[in-house]
Amino acid sequence: MTNFSWIDGSIVGLYIVATMIAGIAVRKYVGKVEHFLIAGREMNLYLGIASLAATEFGIVTCMYTSQNGYKNGFAGATPGILAMLAMFFVGYTGFCVKPLRDAGVITIPELFEKRYGPRIRWAAGVVIVLGGLLNMGVFLRTGGDFLVAVCGFDPKYLEITMTALLLFVAIYTVLGGMLSVLVTDFLQFVVMSGGLLAVTILILVNVGWSELVAAVQKNYGAGGFNPLVKPDMGWKYIADNALLSLAMVLTWQTTIQRLLAAKDTKTGCQVYTRTSVFFLCRWLIPVVWGIAALAVLKPEDVGDNTLLAMPTMLSRLTPVGLMGILVAAMLAADMSTDASYMITWSSVIYNDILAPFHKNQWSEKRGLIVSRSIVAIIGVFLLVYGLWYPLQGSLWDYLRVTGNIYLSSMSVLLVACCYWKRANSWGAAGAIICGAVIPTAFLVMEQLPSTQHFAKVVVGPEYSNIATYIIAATAMVVGSLLKPQTKPVAARG
Amino acid sequence: MPEHWFWFLATMGCVVWYSTITVYVAIRGAMDIKHMLRRLAGNGEEEQE
Repeated sequence: MTNFSWIDGSIVGLYIVATMIAGIAVRKYVGKVEHFLIAGREMNLYLGIASLAATEFGIVTCMYTSQNGYKNGFAGATPGILAMLAMFFVGYTGFCVKPLRDAGVITIPELFEKRYGPRIRWAAGVVIVLGGLLNMGVFLRTGGDFLVAVCGFDPKYLEITMTALLLFVAIYTVLGGMLSVLVTDFLQFVVMSGGLLAVTILILVNVGWSELVAAVQKNYGAGGFNPLVKPDMGWKYIADNALLSLAMVLTWQTTIQRLLAAKDTKTGCQVYTRTSVFFLCRWLIPVVWGIAALAVLKPEDVGDNTLLAMPTMLSRLTPVGLMGILVAAMLAADMSTDASYMITWSSVIYNDILAPFHKNQWSEKRGLIVSRSIVAIIGVFLLVYGLWYPLQGSLWDYLRVTGNIYLSSMSVLLVACCYWKRANSWGAAGAIICGAVIPTAFLVMEQLPSTQHFAKVVVGPEYSNIATYIIAATAMVVGSLLKPQTKPVAARG
Repeated sequence: MPEHWFWFLATMGCVVWYSTITVYVAIRGAMDIKHMLRRLAGNGEEEQE
């Protein structure tokens, strides 16, 4: 039973129409590929904050963080604390992001070409797209699952809901590129934040802090408040998430794209420091929702699929009117994330993977047609992948493993590129191969019945991820030291 | 102070900070969009000339 009514439907409809109008209206400002991919580097501080916040919070974020709250209590918000610290550290010190933005590149692989050569640029582009698309592949289905559970739609409409969601996003992203993404992100930030805050206050008032704490204490004891004493978390969980947070802040393409679209380096770094607290909010708020589900629902209401605990709780707790605002907020969150991810991966495909073909010599018109086509193709991929990929285990574990396909190697390449003069193409190639092979092998082993137990129980996602970073860094050092050094060409004149 | 004060302060801090920043960014972000579109329109006109 759900409280979704025609009033809520009208609120959602109004939001979608307003977003579409805003997104399509700015297409007239797109005259160049640079406008389409990085908004002509005209993004200012507050638009950057709104856009980054909206991008980094989607329905998928809300689902995996609330699942973490349901399964781990308050300790489930630990990755949010680590992400906040990483964002603030990088923004405050300019670690890697300053030289990256100063280089004036469109993507990270473009910077790599200057140190490691064109082949590494191309390979980096491939792993970034591979990891990013696999990561994003589950967004649509998760978003559809949430909407079906909250609104009480028949599950057979899941595919139609997903397709409609994607179509709305694809239309304005294909037409307006990064400019449409920024403008709609801003609208979506306002709607999303209003909805998130309203529902959080509703939960705190209706369920109450004492009930939330009691539910965590009853189900998880001290481990629900402290990850170090929780048997399935501990230091390995913290180390894994600390590495992931730092790597994500440094190289996650959707985050970096805000840095690269900023009007200057100082603005880019400010976007990081001032959005840092949001990275705690984006974890802690849904974790509280997940804990509320733990407090309100009986185990038989949830069953095996803990991912749906939070939306089930919301469908019962949220009254008419607020339900419409909630669904509009979550749609806003999802649409901004999908649009940003589509434009981000398309920018890497166009700028780096297709670089050997266009060699920066295509006309602006041709470049725009190709960029728009790539966005559309990514949309089709997402639809197909989202329909058939069966998600195994925790959603957050899946996202960490697929993200690590490139986060591990790209963060190693970036740090070495910026701060180690001896780093070269051999080391970079070794890091890319090791960084991609380990998480991909883990994903495959997790799916195969014969290796499932070994992957999930013996190794686990934490050790797989930590090993990926260590081996990628080792490969960078060993490969770079093994390559014979060439004498620098003497300066003429 | 409620039980588990760390998580209580973190949760309440998030709600207060997020509410404040939403209003502030909503106002300043709208101005940023206006300036961004004006600059892009200006650049387009300069290139046509």
